[in-house]
Amino acid sequence: MDTKKLSKDKFGDFMAILSRQKKLYVPQKEGESLRFAPVTAGSQPDLAFPNTTVPPKSVLFPQTETLYQFEQGNTDMSLPGEGEERVLFGVRPCDARAMAIVDSLFSWDVDDPYYLTRREQTTLLGLSCLEPGTNCFCTSVGGGPASTEGLDMLLTDLGEAFLLQTVTEKGEKIIQSVPELLEEATAEDLKAAEKLSQEAAVRIARGIDTDGIPEKLPGLWENPLWKDFSESCLGCGICTFLCPTCHCFDIQDEMEGFEGRRCRMWDSCMFSEYTLHASGHNPRPSRHERTRNRVNHKYSYFVKNFGTIACVGCGRCINLCPVNIDILNILSQVVKEAI
Amino acid sequence: MVDLEKLKTAARETVSRDDVKYLIGWRQGTYGFRVSPHFVKEPEEAEKLIFSPLCTNNLATYLVLTERLPLPRGEQPDSRKVALMVKGCDSRAVVQQLIEQGIKRESVLIIGCPCEGVIDLKKVEEKFPHLPGPAQARWSNGNIVFHLPDGDKEVPKGEVLAAKCLSCRYPNPVMTDLMLWEEVQTRGNDEYDDITELEAKSPQERWLFWEDKFSSCIRCYSCRNVCPMCYCEDCVLDRLNPAWVFRSNNISENTAFHLARAFHLAGRCIECGECERVCPVGIPLMKLNRKLAKEVKEKYEYIPGLDPESKPLQSSYRPDDKEDFIL
Amino acid sequence: MKEQFEPNVVAFLCNWCSYAGADLAGTSRIQYPSNLNVIRVMCSGRVNPLFVVNALQQGADGVLISGCHPGDCHYMEGNFYARRRFALMKELLEYVGVDARRFNMSWVSASEGSKWKDVVQGVVEKAKEAGPFEQFRRNKINW
Repeated sequence: MDTKKLSKDKFGDFMAILSRQKKLYVPQKEGESLRFAPVTAGSQPDLAFPNTTVPPKSVLFPQTETLYQFEQGNTDMSLPGEGEERVLFGVRPCDARAMAIVDSLFSWDVDDPYYLTRREQTTLLGLSCLEPGTNCFCTSVGGGPASTEGLDMLLTDLGEAFLLQTVTEKGEKIIQSVPELLEEATAEDLKAAEKLSQEAAVRIARGIDTDGIPEKLPGLWENPLWKDFSESCLGCGICTFLCPTCHCFDIQDEMEGFEGRRCRMWDSCMFSEYTLHASGHNPRPSRHERTRNRVNHKYSYFVKNFGTIACVGCGRCINLCPVNIDILNILSQVVKEAI
Repeated sequence: MVDLEKLKTAARETVSRDDVKYLIGWRQGTYGFRVSPHFVKEPEEAEKLIFSPLCTNNLATYLVLTERLPLPRGEQPDSRKVALMVKGCDSRAVVQQLIEQGIKRESVLIIGCPCEGVIDLKKVEEKFPHLPGPAQARWSNGNIVFHLPDGDKEVPKGEVLAAKCLSCRYPNPVMTDLMLWEEVQTRGNDEYDDITELEAKSPQERWLFWEDKFSSCIRCYSCRNVCPMCYCEDCVLDRLNPAWVFRSNNISENTAFHLARAFHLAGRCIECGECERVCPVGIPLMKLNRKLAKEVKEKYEYIPGLDPESKPLQSSYRPDDKEDFIL
Repeated sequence: MKEQFEPNVVAFLCNWCSYAGADLAGTSRIQYPSNLNVIRVMCSGRVNPLFVVNALQQGADGVLISGCHPGDCHYMEGNFYARRRFALMKELLEYVGVDARRFNMSWVSASEGSKWKDVVQGVVEKAKEAGPFEQFRRNKINW
């Protein structure tokens, strides 16, 4: 596909044009956390980050989303309005891969119109990851600092300019809409970008050989490792809510006076209510079963259903776990136990 | 002075006892300056125990986090003691749990570790970023020495200590079965300056401050789960019928959640700061808890977690409690 | 002409004193503002602080909790607990930026019909001054 170059002094114009065309989301500070939020007058994009605190899934699969609205005593229901075209700028390749992975889930046996429409309306502009974080391990799970999977266009910071590499037609369209700002990219630019991302990949310090893990996991169902690793688990939702591939949701009805809505919201398999039956029985009664499910879901069930590991190695669950439950540690124990 | 050998010996002896189920302490984490709770069941596992400025976790949470699963018929519950390593603040959590009868005195064995203050991981990771390998730290003459791959680095406490430790009033465990080493000097006196500062602002400014923080909440409930005082078997926040707080994430429900959480800790919060430490989006939860702690202290001269014989604040009263706000 | 703002005040009244006091005000034909939505509870000690939060979420512009005078509680000590609880709740609400005029508590006995009138007038007046409550009201903007 196309490659172009955008000099940094034209970057402001580029963003201004994008924000006029579509609703533009960039990573911004909210409170103390970094997340994707619409550009408004005076908002500052924050691009000097290994990764956002809240993954961009919060735009495509919002934490709370109305499915339809209703009124008491009336069988009519109204669907939420058509969404709008949006662009996400500054998506890390790992998070974009996560969207590609989640796509297969939301279009599995039944198409999920809410997610898929929004996905269709969204253009993802990625930013190569040149300064990987401490716990990044994307290279272990099939990604890389300049992976383009799930993205529509990848930008690489070459210092003086950005290299733009389109991946899909949505990305092409962006390039075609701003011809006056772009220059042709040379072979040297491509080489420079290649070199930068290779250097970044070398700097990724942590990792695991995932070969064979999906096959080994079912045999470790009753292994004591789950109890050992989950002893200190608090049962909070950090690892799942902030995981870019976690996609479980709960559906609730909310009433306000005589009007109500049915909405869905993020749910976490680390909560005990997640599997609680109406009878009071809970098939996953304790935290070790829930931890086992989280790892198995990513590294075994999802592989069986969709042929890919549902973990992109963004490192959020390791960075943010309050008690240092480290998925890489769990996986290396899995490898050891399974011999 | 921290004596690791003594700590390990004590731990080995403790877990060898017939009436002890396990001991909970701290061990080095998997990378950087992280620490993980360590459950010692066999004497040889005591080797991994540490005690250093990195041991931030309040382990008293695990006394009340234990899952009580239905037992097979005829089986008796394991009533052996749990041995617990505590810093000053952690010990207050245990005492408060005893006050509320959340745990029984005979079910816990408290091993006291007088503490010279633990780090704020955010401050340390800012100073020493990117440490994929495990790294350690220790106290040394009022400073903290960090063992980095390229040599030791000594940093004054003021730069890296958690805010709660800089004004700590109870560095020594207030109740123990075994004190591991001599008590340390009390460092500060907490005047609640940060709270007074926020109180001095106008209501609009205060709301803008909290609106920003509350709207960034992702409702992962880590603040609730990590709290040693949050141990209701059926939490009001999980109730669906009636739904006291809706699950949807918006400023209204998030505010209701934070008010409910903070209020349930009124007169109970022992200010260990765990909620604020674990918050993935950095909500200053201690500013809420400490406001209530300050009011409780001023209005009722009550400090939670000190006297196991005292009655919980909100299930007791004095006929002459202040009522200047009542019409 | 712009219509004057009429606040919506939710009042939690204890069954034994304040509810009877309000009743007395009614039977004595004492006039007082009609902005009040009364919820009868058995005791001011029964009022959960979340009632207040939920009332504000669901459209109240002011909240009033009223019970027996200290020492007169039908259940001996319910209002003493309520007093501690709401002294703290009031501080917490003000601390997060809720207007101090929105939260009120009073002691009104069954014989204080005229005090009831004064309390209600005061509370409604304060809620009027504070204006419509919007800070964390549930609204359908995000639906």
